[in-house]
Amino acid sequence: MKRAIRIKDRHMWVFFVSPGVLLLILVLGFPAITSLSYSIKPEQAGPVSYTLSNYMNLLKDPFFSRTFWNTGIFVFLSVASHMVLGLAVAMVLNTALPAKPLFRLIALLPWVVPDVVAGIIWKWMYNPIYGAINDFLLRIGLINTPVEWLSNPALALFSVILVNLWRGFPFVMLILLAGLQAIPRHLYEAAGIDGASRVQSFFHITIPGLRKMIVVALALDIVWEVRRFGLIQAMTQGGPGVLTEVLSTYTYKQYFQFFRFEYASAIAVVMTVVLLLVSLPYIWMISQEE
Amino acid sequence: MRKIRTIGICAAVLLVAFSFSSAMAAQVSLRFSDWHLTEDVWNKSLNEGMDIFHKRNPNIKVTLEPVSYGEKETKYTVESMAGRAPDVFHVHAFSLPMFFSKGFAKDLTPFIKKEGPGFMDAWYPLPIKLMKHKGRVHAMPGDYMTMVLFYNTEMFKAAGLDPNKPPKTWDEFLAYAKKLTRDTDGDGKVDQWGFGTLGSKSPGFSMRFGPFLWSFGGDYLTPDMKHSALDSPKAKEAFAFFVELYTKHKVVPPGMTAMGAQDVRTQFAQKKVAMILGSGWTPPIVNKINPDLRAFEVLKAAPAPMKRKQATAIWLSSWVMSPNTKHPKEAWELLKFITSKEIELKWFVDNRVTSSRKDVSGVAPEILNDKFASVMASQLPYGKVEPQIKQWPEIIDTFTTSLQEAIVGMKTPQKALAEAHKRINAILAR
Amino acid sequence: MFSKTIIWIFLIMVVFYCLFPFAWMLSTSLKTEAEAFRIPPTWIPLQPTASSYIGIWVRKNFGIYFFNSTVISLSTAVLSTFFGALAGYGFSRFLFKGRRFLIGFFLATQMLPGVLLVGPYFKILSKVGLYDTRTGLIIAFLTICLPFSTWMMKGFIDKVPVALDQSAMVDGCTRMGVFFKIILPVVAPGMVATILFAFLLAWGDLLWALCLTSSEPMITVTLGIARTVGEFRIIWPMLMAGSLVGGMPAIILYIFLQRLLVQGLTAGAVKA
Repeated sequence: MKRAIRIKDRHMWVFFVSPGVLLLILVLGFPAITSLSYSIKPEQAGPVSYTLSNYMNLLKDPFFSRTFWNTGIFVFLSVASHMVLGLAVAMVLNTALPAKPLFRLIALLPWVVPDVVAGIIWKWMYNPIYGAINDFLLRIGLINTPVEWLSNPALALFSVILVNLWRGFPFVMLILLAGLQAIPRHLYEAAGIDGASRVQSFFHITIPGLRKMIVVALALDIVWEVRRFGLIQAMTQGGPGVLTEVLSTYTYKQYFQFFRFEYASAIAVVMTVVLLLVSLPYIWMISQEE
Repeated sequence: MRKIRTIGICAAVLLVAFSFSSAMAAQVSLRFSDWHLTEDVWNKSLNEGMDIFHKRNPNIKVTLEPVSYGEKETKYTVESMAGRAPDVFHVHAFSLPMFFSKGFAKDLTPFIKKEGPGFMDAWYPLPIKLMKHKGRVHAMPGDYMTMVLFYNTEMFKAAGLDPNKPPKTWDEFLAYAKKLTRDTDGDGKVDQWGFGTLGSKSPGFSMRFGPFLWSFGGDYLTPDMKHSALDSPKAKEAFAFFVELYTKHKVVPPGMTAMGAQDVRTQFAQKKVAMILGSGWTPPIVNKINPDLRAFEVLKAAPAPMKRKQATAIWLSSWVMSPNTKHPKEAWELLKFITSKEIELKWFVDNRVTSSRKDVSGVAPEILNDKFASVMASQLPYGKVEPQIKQWPEIIDTFTTSLQEAIVGMKTPQKALAEAHKRINAILAR
Repeated sequence: MFSKTIIWIFLIMVVFYCLFPFAWMLSTSLKTEAEAFRIPPTWIPLQPTASSYIGIWVRKNFGIYFFNSTVISLSTAVLSTFFGALAGYGFSRFLFKGRRFLIGFFLATQMLPGVLLVGPYFKILSKVGLYDTRTGLIIAFLTICLPFSTWMMKGFIDKVPVALDQSAMVDGCTRMGVFFKIILPVVAPGMVATILFAFLLAWGDLLWALCLTSSEPMITVTLGIARTVGEFRIIWPMLMAGSLVGGMPAIILYIFLQRLLVQGLTAGAVKA
C-alpha cells in the first residue's frame, strides 16, 4: 500500500459516479434547461415574459388528449408484448437446443435494423396493393381481399405495434437471457428432486431470480417506448387522422413543422413529468439494498 | 542607413503579406444546400450548373450540402437557430412564411436595387408576391409549375375512351374514372382504378386537393385570412366530392390514407391507375419507375378538370440567403446565377421543370413545344396558391386529419369538415 | 408441460416472424429497380442483379458512411458501457447521501425528447468547434446512452455477491482493483448486452446525425439510407442493400462477443 493520502473507502463512490454525472450535466443539462424554459414563454411576443398559457392550451387541445391516450396504449402493448415474447424466447434459448447460436442470432436480427429503416420497410410491406404481406397472405389463401393495415382505423395502431414488437423484443430477450444464465442450475435440479412441476419452478425460481433484470428491462423499455419516434413517423406520421399520433410525433410536429417551439416545450415537459412519475417505483426498487 | 533598410524590408514584407492575404481572402467559400442533390433525377443537372458557376467565378468555392426532402425543414431550422445555416438554401414557397417570421431569410432588396430598375420584371408577379415579407423581397423564386391531369392514353383506349378527349369537368372526370375502374384479367376482382391520389399527410397533398376546392369555387380561408372558409356550400361540395371518389364511387385504389406521392406515381407507372394529378417531374419519374410503360409516348397531359371555373395549384420553390452568411455579396452572385435565364432554361431542358421567369416559361420554344410543359405553362394564369401565413402548416395538417377521418369512414364528410372548420378558426384566433 | 413439439412450433413461428422482412429485403436488394416496383411483387427476382450492392459503395459513398458509423458507434458503445459500469458499481456498492436522487437524475435525463435537446446542443457544439465532427456525435451519443448503461450494469453488478469484493480487498486489492479485476470479468454477459445496445443506439440514430453534421464525409449509414428515400424517388433495391449491409457490423460485433454472453458466473462466485 502506498503511503499516499488515504481516502476513506466509503468516499470512493465519488470516483466511480462523477465521470457520468459530469458528462450528463455538461452535455444534456444546458440544452434541457434552455428548452424547458421555452415552455413558460408566451407564443406570441407580448407584454408578459412568463406565462402558463402553453399548458392551458394543452388542456384545451382536442388532439392532445387523443395523443396521450394513444401513447398509453402504444406503450402498454409494446412493452407487455416485448416482455412476454422476450421472456418466452429467452427461456427457449436457455434450454438444450440444437443449433442454439443460430437461433439466438436469428432472434437478435430485427434489432440491428434502425427503427426509421424498419418503419420504411414495413410500411412498404404493408401496402395494400403491392406490399409483400398482402401478397403473401393472398397467395397462401389466408385472405381474399387486401388488408389495409395502415389505413383501416381498427388496425392502424396495432399494425404499428406489431412492427414495434418485431423491432424491440430482442433487447428484452437479451437482458432476460443474461439474467437466466445467472440462475444456478442446481436450484432447478433440487426443485425437480423435490417434486416441483415446471410451472412451480417457473414461478418460484425463474421469476424471483429474474426480478432485478425484469425491473431493469421494464423501466428502460417503458421510457424508450414513450420516446419511440422514427418508427411511427416513418410509417404513418400519426395518421390516419390522429389514430397513431403519439406524444413524440406530436412534439416533433409542433416543433419542426409548425415552429411552435414554446408549445412543443410544454408538451415535452408533460412527457418528462409523466415518465418520471411512471418510473418512480422502479427507481425505488432498483435503489433498494439487495 | 541601417534604419532605412530595416524599414524598407519591413515595408516589403508587409506588402507581400498584405497582398498574399488579400489574395487568400479573395477565395471565398460558400455553403449551398438543396434537396435536389439527393434526388437522382436532378442531381446531375445541379452539379453541372455548379461547375459552370465555378468556371465563371474562380474566387468562389461552393460546397454542396445534400439534405433529403423530408428532413430539410428540420435541418435548416436547427441550423438557423444556431446561426449556422448554409449561405444559400432551397425551400418550398409554403415554408417561407415560417422562415420569414423567425428571421431566417435575409432581406434581398438592397441587392436587387443594385441590379438596376426592372430587374424583377423578368419574373411572373405571383411568385414575386410570395417572396415578399412586409413588402420587401426575402427570397428568390425558383421552379414554378402547375398541377395538371396526366392520363394513360392506352388505358383510355382499352376502356373505350377517346385519348384525345380528356375530361374537362369534374363530373366528366368521375364518369371517365368509373369506366376506367375495372377488372382487366377476368378474375372477378377490380385490379385497375380510374384515379390515383395521395391521402397521406405530406407536402404534396394540398397541391392535389387545391384544384378540386378552388375550381368548385371554395377556398380554405377567407380573403383576409382571419377565418376558415370551409363552411361555405362550395367548399362542402368539393370536400364531399373528393371523399366520395374513394368511399362511394371507389375509383381510387384501397389504402389511400397511406399513399404518398411516390406510391401514386408507382401505381400510375404500373398501370394500376389511369389518371393522376402531377406536374413537371411526373413523366421523367414515372419513366424511371417503369421504362416499359414508354411514359413519354403513352402519357398525355391536360388541364385539371373544373367545376365552375378553371383553377389549379401551383408549385413554387424558392432560394433563401441566410442572414448569418459571412459573404452576402458572393451569395447574391450565386443566387443570381441559379435563377438566371440561362440556368432556368437548363433546369427545364434537363429536368422538365418550368420556371418562374416569364422570359423562360412564356417564351422558350423548348417549353412551348413540349407536350407536357406546354399544358403546364398554359395553366399558369389559373394558378392559385395556399394562404401564405405562418400557421399554414398547422392548418393543412388539421384539415388533412379531418379528410383522413372522412376517407376511412370514421366520420361523415360533413361532420369531418365541420370539425376542421372549427379547429382552424381556433388556430387562427390564437 | 411444454412438450418439445410446442416448443418447436413456437420457435418456427418466431423464426418466421423475425426473418420474413429480411427475406423480403434480400429479395428486393437483388432486383432491378424496375422489377422492385412491380405489381404484384415477385419474390424470386426474375433478373437478379448485384448492382445495388455495388452501387451503394460506388455511387453512394457507402464506404465513408460505414467508416463513420463504425467509429462512432463502437466508441460510443465501449465508452458508455465503461462509464456506465463505473457509475453502476458506485451505485451498487456504496450507500451515500443523495444516492437515490442521483439514480433518479440519471434516468430523468433520458426522459427528454431528443427533438428539444438537439437545437441547443447544436449551438454548444458549434461554439466549441465540434460541429460536423465524429467526436461531437460520439459525445452526444455517449451521454444519451450513459444512463441506460448505468442502469443495466448496476443490475448485473448487484447480482455479484459483495463477499467477492470484500474477500479481494482483504487480500490487499484496492477498490479500483476490485472493479477491474473482479467485477468486470464476472459481469461480462451484462456488458455484452450493454455494448450491443449502445452500439445499436448510436448506429440507428437519425435526428442527431442529421442535425449535427452537414458535410458528406461525416454522414453515417443510417443517415445515408434515409436519404435514399426522396420525396420524388425511392430507390428500393439500394435502400434494401444498404440496410442489409448496414446491419452487418452489429451482427459481427454480436458474433464476436457472444461467447462472453454464454458465460455464467464463474464457479468461484457461487458458494454453497
